[in-house]
Amino acid sequence: MIDSGPKSKLVPCPEPGKTGVRRQFPRAPRGYLATGILFIALGGLGAAFSRSAPDRSAVPLTPLSRPAGRLASQPGQPLGVQAAAQPRADNAAAPDVPARFPLVIRKPSGPPRITTGLHGLNGDPVTAACSTCHATRPPNLENRTGGDLDEFHTGLTIAHGNVSCLACHNSGDYDTLKLADGRRVEFAEVMTLCGQCHGPQMEAYEHGAHGGMTGYWDRRRGPLSKNNCIDCHPPHAPQFPKMRPTFKPRDRFLAPPRTEH
Amino acid sequence: MTVDDTPSPDASQGDSNGHQLPIVNQPATRRTALKAVGAALGLAAFGKAVSPLWSIPEHVSVDEFLQQHYQELTPSDKDRIFARLESETKEEFGVDVTISDPRPLPGVRFGYAINLSKCNGNGACMEACSKENNHHRGIDQSYIRVLEMSKGSMDMEHGTTTFDHTVPQDGKFYMPVQCQQCEKPPCVSACPVEATWQEDDGIVVVDYNWCIGCRYCEAACPYHARRFNWEPPEIPADEINPDQGYLSNRIRPQGTMEKCHFCLHRTREGRAPACLEACPTGARVFGDLNDPESDINWVLENKRVFVLKEELGTQPNFFYFFDS
Amino acid sequence: MTMPSSADAHHPQTTTNDPLRSYPKFLWWGLGESTNGGLGFYVWMIVLTAISLVGANAWANQVAQGMIVTNMTDHVSWGLYIANFTFCVGLAAGGVMMVIPAYLYDDEEMHRVVIVGEAVAIAAIVMATLSVVVDLGRPDRFWHLVPIIGRVNWPVSMLTWDVIVLNGYLIINLHIVGYLLYMRYLGRKPNPSWYVPFVFLSIVWAISIHTVTAFLYCGLGGRPFWNTALLAPRFLASAFVSGPAFIILVMRILRITTGRETAPGPARTLIQIIRVAMTINLVMLASELFTLFYTGSSHGASAEYLYFGSHGHTGLVPWIWTAVVCNLVGTGLFFMPEALERGTIRIAACVLCIVGIWIEKGMGLIIPGFIPSTLHEIVEYSPSLVEWKVTAGIWAFGFLLLTVLLKLIVAVFTGEESRAKPQPP
Repeated sequence: MIDSGPKSKLVPCPEPGKTGVRRQFPRAPRGYLATGILFIALGGLGAAFSRSAPDRSAVPLTPLSRPAGRLASQPGQPLGVQAAAQPRADNAAAPDVPARFPLVIRKPSGPPRITTGLHGLNGDPVTAACSTCHATRPPNLENRTGGDLDEFHTGLTIAHGNVSCLACHNSGDYDTLKLADGRRVEFAEVMTLCGQCHGPQMEAYEHGAHGGMTGYWDRRRGPLSKNNCIDCHPPHAPQFPKMRPTFKPRDRFLAPPRTEH
Repeated sequence: MTVDDTPSPDASQGDSNGHQLPIVNQPATRRTALKAVGAALGLAAFGKAVSPLWSIPEHVSVDEFLQQHYQELTPSDKDRIFARLESETKEEFGVDVTISDPRPLPGVRFGYAINLSKCNGNGACMEACSKENNHHRGIDQSYIRVLEMSKGSMDMEHGTTTFDHTVPQDGKFYMPVQCQQCEKPPCVSACPVEATWQEDDGIVVVDYNWCIGCRYCEAACPYHARRFNWEPPEIPADEINPDQGYLSNRIRPQGTMEKCHFCLHRTREGRAPACLEACPTGARVFGDLNDPESDINWVLENKRVFVLKEELGTQPNFFYFFDS
Repeated sequence: MTMPSSADAHHPQTTTNDPLRSYPKFLWWGLGESTNGGLGFYVWMIVLTAISLVGANAWANQVAQGMIVTNMTDHVSWGLYIANFTFCVGLAAGGVMMVIPAYLYDDEEMHRVVIVGEAVAIAAIVMATLSVVVDLGRPDRFWHLVPIIGRVNWPVSMLTWDVIVLNGYLIINLHIVGYLLYMRYLGRKPNPSWYVPFVFLSIVWAISIHTVTAFLYCGLGGRPFWNTALLAPRFLASAFVSGPAFIILVMRILRITTGRETAPGPARTLIQIIRVAMTINLVMLASELFTLFYTGSSHGASAEYLYFGSHGHTGLVPWIWTAVVCNLVGTGLFFMPEALERGTIRIAACVLCIVGIWIEKGMGLIIPGFIPSTLHEIVEYSPSLVEWKVTAGIWAFGFLLLTVLLKLIVAVFTGEESRAKPQPP
C-alpha cells in the first residue's frame, strides 16, 4: 500500500459525452412501470393495459456488446497497439492532459550473484558475479536443463519450455541477458526479454490486466506500483505456484448451529 | 342487518345484562376489582418480559435515534454525527479512528473485472476485504466469496465455496463473487426506506444508521452480495482500520445490512480497492468506465467479457473474462 | 384493542348522544363485557397471556442480543417469522369469503355471522404485522417506515405497498366492525352509507393484501422458486381455504361456548368455497411442480431440495410431505358429503387444511426460496427456540385479541336481543 503522495488538482473527465461507453438509462423505470401496473391491476383493468409491462427484450444493448460499440467508435485505432509499459509521464507534456504520477514497476536490483558457500570475516556469505566463472568457460549452446551440467547449477529446476540456457543468458556477457536478436539487455530490464515471447501477457500487463499492483488506479491522484514478471514467475520455472488458502469466512452455517440456552 | 333470533340463556356472560343499555356504569363489583388487579399484574408481567429492551438506550443514543437519512444531512450534521461515531468507537473499542465522507468523483463510473484464467482461488482478496472493512472477526466476515467451479460448466450448482485444499486444482477454475454494483440494482428497488441507493459513480451504498434491518434487499440480491449484522461485531483493537468512511468501512451497528462498496473510502481518493492490491495473481482490474484509456475499458474492448446472471437484467458493472 | 377509526367520530347523529363521548363509553363497556366469563374463559385468557408474555420476552432478548439468537443466516435470511407472516395475511384475506356471499349475493344467513369473519381478519392482520415487526433487525427505527417523518420508498418497493395495504385493511375492518357494533349497542339501525362502501372496498382490499404479499416474493428475479406468475393466484386460492376453514372452527367454538344456535347455511357455503378453492390451489400447485420438475433446469433446484432433498440435505422434506398429506387428506374429507354436516369430519378437514397450508405457504415456500442460495450454496434452516417462542407469542396474542373481539360481538348481539324481546307484545 502506498500512502497518498501530493495530490494533483481534481480534474473532471474530459468530454464525458464522447466516451460513449456507458448506456444512459432513466433511473429505475422498471420499478415505476411495475408499480403502475399494480395500480391498474387493483382497479381491475389489468388485462386492458397489460401491454405496458416492462419488456426486457427492449433493453437496447447488453453489456457484452459494449466493447464492439466502443471499437466501432474509434475505427482508426489499431488493435492491441498501445503505449509502452514505461510510465506515461510524457503525457504531462500535452497541455490538455493532466499531470500523472509515475507508474513504478518493480525491477531486479541488478545482475544476480551466486553464493560461493564461503563466508567472509564478518560471517556474511561471499557471493560472486556470473562473469567471475563464466568468463573462463566456453559456452555450450546445447545446455537446456540442470541435468546437462556437471558442475554448478546442477540442481536447478528448469521448466520453461524447451529453450536453451543461452536463449536468454548472454554468452558474451553473463552479467546481462540477451534478446532474440542478439542485443544485450540488463537484468533490470528483464521484462523486455519476457515480452518477446509472451506478447499477449505483456499487452495485458501494460493495460493493468496482468500482474499484481498497489497504489492508485487514478494516476492523476497518486502513483501506481506494479510487479515485475519475475516477482511472480521465477524465470527458470515460471508457472505460478500452487497456494493454500489461508482465509475462509466462517459463516454461521460452517459453525455448529446455535442452541438456545 | 338482522340479528340471530334464537337467543339462549347464557350463564357464561356473567353480570352482563342488556337492561342497563345504553347507560353504561359497571358496578364496582368484586369482579371489576379482580379485573383491575389482573390487568395491573398483566402489565407488570409485560414490563418484566420486555425488560431486555431497556438495554437499547445504552447503545442507541437519542441523537442516533433521531438521526435523519444521509441524504438529508447538512455538512454540519455530518460533522456532528461523524464526531459522535468516532467517540463511540473510541469508547467501545479504545481506538482513535477518522470517519470521512468521500463523495463520488465527478464523471467517474467504476467498473471491475476479474480474469478467471488468472484467479487461483487463494482467497487473499477475502482476507484483505475482511481487514480493510473492519469486518466481524467472530465469523471472519468478508464481502467476497470465492467459488470453486468445474471447468466446462458455468453452473454454480456444481460450485463450492468451502473447498480446503491447495489451489488451483486440476479441472477447476475459481470465481470470486462480490457486489456487482448493478446498473439496475434489485436491492435498491426492494428497500422500503431508501436506506440503500446507487451513487453517481455506480456504487450502491447503505446508510447503516437508516437501515431497519428487514433484509428484503438480501432476498432480492441475486449475487449473495449483502450481509446482515446478526450480532455486534467483534474486532481486536489493534486490527481496526482507522481510515473509515461513513458509507463504507466504519464499524457497522448490529441489526443492519452491509455490502461491498468497492472500498469507496479508497477508490474515491484514487486508490485501488483492497481486494485488488491483495490479489497475488493480478486477476483483478479496476477503473473508470468513463475513461476510454482506463484499464477496465481495455479489458472490455479486448477480452470476451461476461456478467453473472445476465438474464436477470441487473446489468452489473462487474465483469468476468478468460484469457483466450 | 378496538380503536375507533376517525370516520366513526363523524357519524350523523339523530339522537342527543354525542359520539365523541358515547363511543369511548361503548369501548369501556365493551372492555368490561369482553373480560367477563366463566372459569374456563379465565383459564384460556391467562394461558394466552402467559404465552404472549413468553413471546414478548423472547423478542426483547432478540432485540437486545441481536438476531443471532434466531437460526437465520445470510443464506436463509428470512425464516419462521416471514413464513408465519405469509400465512397470517392469507388468513386475513380469507375472511372476505364470508363478506362476498353476504354482501354480493345477499346471503341472509351469512349476513348474520359475517362479522365473525371480519373479527378474524382483524386479529390475523395484527398477527401479520407483528410477524414483520419481530423480523426487523432494528425495530427502534420503525419510524423510518412512517410516511412524512420517515422516508418511504413508495411506489417502487413492494414492502412499502405491503405496509400500506395491511394497515389499510386493518383500518377498514376496524371501522366496519366498530361501526356496526356501536350502532347495535346504541340500539340503532346502522346507516348503510356508513359501512356498505367500506365493505365493498374491503373485498377488493382483501384480494390486494394477498396479491401484494405474493408480489413481494415473486417480483424477485434472483429467486427462481418464487419468481413465478402463479404465486399470487396460488396465494389467493390457498387463502380462500385457510381463511374459511379457520372461520368454521371459530364458529364451532362460539356455538359450543355461548350455546347459541346458528343456522347451518353459512358453514355449508364456506365448505363449498373451500372445495373449489382447494381444488384450484392443488391444480396450480401441480402445474407449478410439473414445470419445475419436468423441465429439469436449475430453476427446479429449490423444489428438488424441498421435496426430495439435495446433496444429502433433507431438512424440509418432512415438512413438505406433511403438508402434502394434510392437504390431500383434508381436501378428500371436504369432498365427503359428511363435511356438509356438523361433525368430526368437518373439523378434521379444517384442521388438516390449515396445517397443510401453513406449511405450504411458510416453511414450504419462504424457506426453500433461499435454498440453494443465489450462489447455489445449500445452507439449511430450522427455527430456533426463540423463533418458536416469538411465533407462539404472536399466535397467542392473536387469539387473545380474537377472543376479546368475539366476546364483544356476542355481548352486543345479546344485549340487542334482550332489548328487542319485550317490545313485540
